[in-house]
Amino acid sequence: MIMIVILLPILAGILVPLIPFKKRSHMEIFLEALVVLNSLLVWYMLLHRAESIFTLANFTGNLSISFKVDGMSMVFAGLVSALWPFATLYAFEYMTKEEHERVFFMFYTMTYGVTLGISLAANLLTMYFFYELLTLVTVPLVMHTLTREAILASRKYLYYSLGGAAFAFIGLIFVIIYGSTTNFVLGGVLDVEKIGGRTNILLLIYVIAFMGFGVKAAICPFNSWLPDAGVAPTPVTALLHAVAVVKSGAFAIIRLTYYSFGTDFLKGTWAQNVVMAITMFTIVYGCSRAVKETHLKRRLAYSTISNLSYILFGVTIMTPLGLIGALSHLVFHAVMKISSFFCAGAIMHQTDRHYVHELDGLGYKMPCVFGIFTVSAFALMGVPGLSGFVSKWNLAFAAVESGNMLAYGGIGCLLISALLTAIYMLTIVVRAFFPGKDFDAGTLKGITDPNWKMLLPLFVFTLFIVLFGLHSAPIIKFFGDVAAGIY
Amino acid sequence: MQYIILSILFPIVAGLYLLIRKESENRKTLLLCTGTFLIISAVLVIMALCLAGGGMFTLFNLTDKLPIIFKIDEVSVLFSVMTIIIFLCAGFFSFEYMKHEEKEKRYYGFYLIVLGVLIALCFAGNLITFYLFFEMLTLSSMPLVLHNGSREAIMAGLKYLFYSLCGAYMALFGLYFVERYGNTLTFSAGGVISEQAASAHGGILLLVAFLMLLGFGVKAGMFPMHAWLPAAHPVAPAPASAVLSAVIVKAGVLAIIRVVYYIFGSSFLKGTWVQTTWMILILLTIFMGSMLAYREPVMKKRLAYSTVSQLSYILFGLAVMDAGSVTGGLLHVLCHGFIKAALFLCAGAIIYMTGKTRVEEFRGIGKEMPLLLWCYTIVSLGLIGIPPTGGFVSKWYLAQGALSSGIPVFDWLGPVILLVSALLTAGYLLPVTIKGFFPGADYDYNSLRKKEPSALMTIPVLILTILSVAIGLFPGAVVQYLSQMIEKII
Amino acid sequence: MDFIQNFPFFSIILSMFSGIISSILPGKAAKRLNTAVIFVAGLLSLILLIYLIGTGSSYTYMMGHFPAPWGNEIRAGILEAGMALFFCIIMLLSLFGGRKKLNEEVEEGKHNLYYILMDLMLSSLLALIYTNDLFTAYVFVEINTIAACGLIMIRQNGRTIEAAVRYMIMSLLGSGMLLMGICMLYDLTGHLLMSNISEQVALLAASGEYRIPLLVTIALMSVGLAIKSALFPFHAWLPDAYGYSTVSSAAILSSLVSKGYIFLLIKIIYRVIGFEIFDNSRIIDVLFVFGLMGMIFGSLSAIKENDIRRMIAYSSVAQIGYIYMGIGMGTAAGMAASVFHILSHAATKSLLFIAAIGLTDVSGGSRKFVDLTGAAYRNKWAGVAFTVGSLSMVGVPLFSGFISKLLFAQAAVQNNGKMLPALIVLGISTILNAIYFMKTVIRIYTPANGTGSCVTFRSMKLYAVTLVCFIVLNIILGVSSQPVVDLIEQGLAMFS
Repeated sequence: MIMIVILLPILAGILVPLIPFKKRSHMEIFLEALVVLNSLLVWYMLLHRAESIFTLANFTGNLSISFKVDGMSMVFAGLVSALWPFATLYAFEYMTKEEHERVFFMFYTMTYGVTLGISLAANLLTMYFFYELLTLVTVPLVMHTLTREAILASRKYLYYSLGGAAFAFIGLIFVIIYGSTTNFVLGGVLDVEKIGGRTNILLLIYVIAFMGFGVKAAICPFNSWLPDAGVAPTPVTALLHAVAVVKSGAFAIIRLTYYSFGTDFLKGTWAQNVVMAITMFTIVYGCSRAVKETHLKRRLAYSTISNLSYILFGVTIMTPLGLIGALSHLVFHAVMKISSFFCAGAIMHQTDRHYVHELDGLGYKMPCVFGIFTVSAFALMGVPGLSGFVSKWNLAFAAVESGNMLAYGGIGCLLISALLTAIYMLTIVVRAFFPGKDFDAGTLKGITDPNWKMLLPLFVFTLFIVLFGLHSAPIIKFFGDVAAGIY
Repeated sequence: MQYIILSILFPIVAGLYLLIRKESENRKTLLLCTGTFLIISAVLVIMALCLAGGGMFTLFNLTDKLPIIFKIDEVSVLFSVMTIIIFLCAGFFSFEYMKHEEKEKRYYGFYLIVLGVLIALCFAGNLITFYLFFEMLTLSSMPLVLHNGSREAIMAGLKYLFYSLCGAYMALFGLYFVERYGNTLTFSAGGVISEQAASAHGGILLLVAFLMLLGFGVKAGMFPMHAWLPAAHPVAPAPASAVLSAVIVKAGVLAIIRVVYYIFGSSFLKGTWVQTTWMILILLTIFMGSMLAYREPVMKKRLAYSTVSQLSYILFGLAVMDAGSVTGGLLHVLCHGFIKAALFLCAGAIIYMTGKTRVEEFRGIGKEMPLLLWCYTIVSLGLIGIPPTGGFVSKWYLAQGALSSGIPVFDWLGPVILLVSALLTAGYLLPVTIKGFFPGADYDYNSLRKKEPSALMTIPVLILTILSVAIGLFPGAVVQYLSQMIEKII
Repeated sequence: MDFIQNFPFFSIILSMFSGIISSILPGKAAKRLNTAVIFVAGLLSLILLIYLIGTGSSYTYMMGHFPAPWGNEIRAGILEAGMALFFCIIMLLSLFGGRKKLNEEVEEGKHNLYYILMDLMLSSLLALIYTNDLFTAYVFVEINTIAACGLIMIRQNGRTIEAAVRYMIMSLLGSGMLLMGICMLYDLTGHLLMSNISEQVALLAASGEYRIPLLVTIALMSVGLAIKSALFPFHAWLPDAYGYSTVSSAAILSSLVSKGYIFLLIKIIYRVIGFEIFDNSRIIDVLFVFGLMGMIFGSLSAIKENDIRRMIAYSSVAQIGYIYMGIGMGTAAGMAASVFHILSHAATKSLLFIAAIGLTDVSGGSRKFVDLTGAAYRNKWAGVAFTVGSLSMVGVPLFSGFISKLLFAQAAVQNNGKMLPALIVLGISTILNAIYFMKTVIRIYTPANGTGSCVTFRSMKLYAVTLVCFIVLNIILGVSSQPVVDLIEQGLAMFS
């Protein structure tokens, strides 16, 4: 079953350019149906989870390619498969203005399968394998428009990602040597006897592996690929760089920290302080760059950099509560950020305006889009009543509970970031709705809200932002169970 | 209990309705709607106050540990009564005033929403509910500030937004710790910090308390984060400034009351470095505010600095943590509210009728609008602290409380600063009166016209003036009411 | 003695004879003969391998029944047979892949010369693999050198001649040093057969006599072979030689010839000097360091290159650095990793060269990157093949390069002192590899505006089939490497 959900999108993707569709809408229906089917299968599988590990192939020694559905898989796979059908729908509309659609949708759908592979991996090797594959399958998407900028951006993305994976690879090796198994077990698999006195080396390797996977999760100083990748079409930026690719990086770090090295080994060590400090720095850095950035999508990209480090901050607290905080922000931010990006994409699609200072007064012409953008802005800031507040709350709570002084500083970073987020998001909202006295509405003739294919996903996401904001108890409880290892 | 919800929701929904519906040709229908909504809201609030009783009411749970609770206690009564009175007055004033501004519908929409949010703040039963609506307050009042859409207005609006958010987040930091180490987040007279929490985590809790004071103090215009006030007031429409200075900033004061007396408890904070530092900041603000007001030529900005200073009078009363001073502080909440609202409405009327914004241009205004300027004079006297106005009573209690508090240095320094500030207040308020009624020999009397503003504008000002004097003449009932409450929290 | 045990001898003799015969055959016949010989040699090796797996031990085979210490010996174990088999496969595929180019680039009359050289090359490689005495080793080293020079030069233009001359000089320098080493060793021990020598060397090392001469011998032989296999800093001849010769030659040179010398070095370390003595002499650390530096500098030079074949050639320098790093670790695991990488690199590098020629052909024969834009759309098979090769070089899982990296890293972790440098350089090298290979992959897949011709499957059947075989080989090594690794370890165990 697991193999089906991973392979189906990959195959569907490969088929797209090969089948000669008569009309574009046929292709759309084909693809959407397959994606929806796959998502349903995933959810079915998550709800009726089998306990066992499914091994596909054995490599040398005790290394194998295996899959498993455990708590973390449920979270990530559930998130990805819930968002993908909407994203595909949105992409159909958006891509009417771009070219080479077939190839685009091929890689776009293949990415779905690969991301599921990462989430369902049962051991570090399998995850590493799909991780590399994810890079390869998303590079053509970044490169899509084939402008000079796009090619440079995709190269940068490729180098950074492969480089990061190379260093994460070192971590993999050490887990192989010093762990009783490479499988993911909550609490870690390191064999204390084997380690002997080499604790410091292992901590160093952990930090290296953290930074390696962290490249995809855009931590400083390896984050500059993300804003550059904003040159890709918006469905790519939104789904991949706000949800799938970067969250895979965060997911990998969660696996590394809680399921491979284990928090008992890492907590209280200098390694924890180093990685926590890095995440704290990134939180503030990302937001500061966002404030200065005038290109809309790049601004949102910097926002993503910052928010990813919220998740990683939660991870570095290294307690079950920290994991809960991290997971809640993983899910909630994905929804918030994808709706922000989709709004930005809608704006660019309808008006061809890319810069913040060009957005004056558009709020009245595209009320739905900007209304939703405002909601996502409030959510990112952390206004109570929306999902962002809940995830920030959980993160702060975990930090306070941990008693770690550095973590207290982390709360400060979170709040500074909240303020900066308010600045860079609300200035856009204010511009759109309060354009100022000497504004000429005549420049906005003929601009309307986009059609249902783009609006429907936006509404659904907003609904979830509000729902999670007001009624988050069930899902937080679920995260608590995952953190406690019940799944 | 449902009245609590209704009194909060009705204005918010009404405001949203106004925002969303299409522009109507007929201005009169808009005004009629708004007026009706305002009155209904006020009625609902009064019914809630009368009928709700002292119980707590949980609306729903935001998360497992964070319920949204409403409760009506004496502090709620005080603040909510003041709020609806001022909102009604400023609301009717604005029907006339907004004739010379545009996009009225948006203004009234947000005006109503702000009213609903403020009522929610008054009725909030725990820190998280309070925080939720505090954030909403900032977000919904910002459009009022930048209403007229000029570049300065937008800049001022953004400045207001960011300062307020900065303050809110500082308070949020504290919220996290209070939730962890306090017994509960619900407001309880005397505080929620238990003995062992105080001894085990005292240091961090004090730090957190200080941060919360600074954070909420931003809204209350406390140094060093007061700079948004003088930026926001001149650009906002006058009735909005009135509401801002008289009521919205009181939300900051309300927050501090809740934090100091109902969360941390005066016993926890008394005598600590937090109290001392806070008092230094307050006294600094009082003096500085008055000084800057004295030197400011633009009328509305002068009044803004005055607010900065006057709010710190209230905060001083709260910081001293003595029964008398707290009484004085709370009385001043009421008095200053009415007085400042009246002052701003006067300034607004002058701008509306003559277009003049600078103090030196107000020569001879008394001849043109005698009634208005009389009201102005009376409330100014109240602000300076001359009997028998309300302002005198509150200042009396403040000084007395300070002297009897027993805090070294501040027990005499406080009253001295209050006195100096009173002199400065006279210095910045009275020249308008003097020049207005006695413009001097070289004034061109022929250019004078009778320009008394219409009833819709004068009556609210009159009401507010009368109220401020009434408190001065009959303080007994209010003081009685307050002292019951204060006993519980000192 | 089983008949099968004669097979090594047969394969060597067969290839030598076919070389001699080819001198009088016309081109086409020579080609067919050559193909047949390689095929037969491979088959023989396969059978031998199966046999040896069955018996589980290696055997020595005296040639001509002359006893020690004067006779020649051949020794065959699992490792040798496996290597021989693999080399034959690679050689065959490389020849198939480059056939068309050969026909274009070399004059009709010289074709049989080419196949003579190929036969000689095959025989010398087989001999190097199987030999058990130093004299034979040296003889065939020389034959190998000459054959290699010929292979470079066969495509006559100024560049190749210059490259061949440079190669010859460097190579002869290496051979000279090897010869000196061998002579000194003969002086010290009085033997030429490897097993006998190692006994004597052990005695010498234990007694402490002739410590310095022994050290010098080891150094000479190592450096000599290092020069011949293009270890940094002796790699200067490589880019020209691989870059400009005809593609089959380039493939075979880079995949097999240098590896033959490395294999000889491994043999000398295990069977002549003895592993421990070699380790103690600290020469091994020098090899390690040079290996690391080769990895970095090779890749750095590759990044600067503007010509695709020279870039691939510099990549070889880096990969040879990997192998020496593995040897330099001084553990059995490291050695196994190196041997695996010999196989993996052989498969991948040939693939890359042959794919590259496909790409340059459809770009008007130019090798500059500028002209190669979009080449993958014009020659789809070559594009895919090049991508597969690149991914393997970078070390993406599913391909053989990943397994090599894995084995190297695992070996590194077990060695205390050399672990961190090895791992860090491994990481950096991956990034560098990614840079120049992936850049090229992106370039060939970036659509360009209509220059260059397109090719279809029909016009290049053999070529396409060859590419597919290479890809399959690569993936087999990448996916089910466990049996291969086991065999290597078994082979190494019985090597000494």
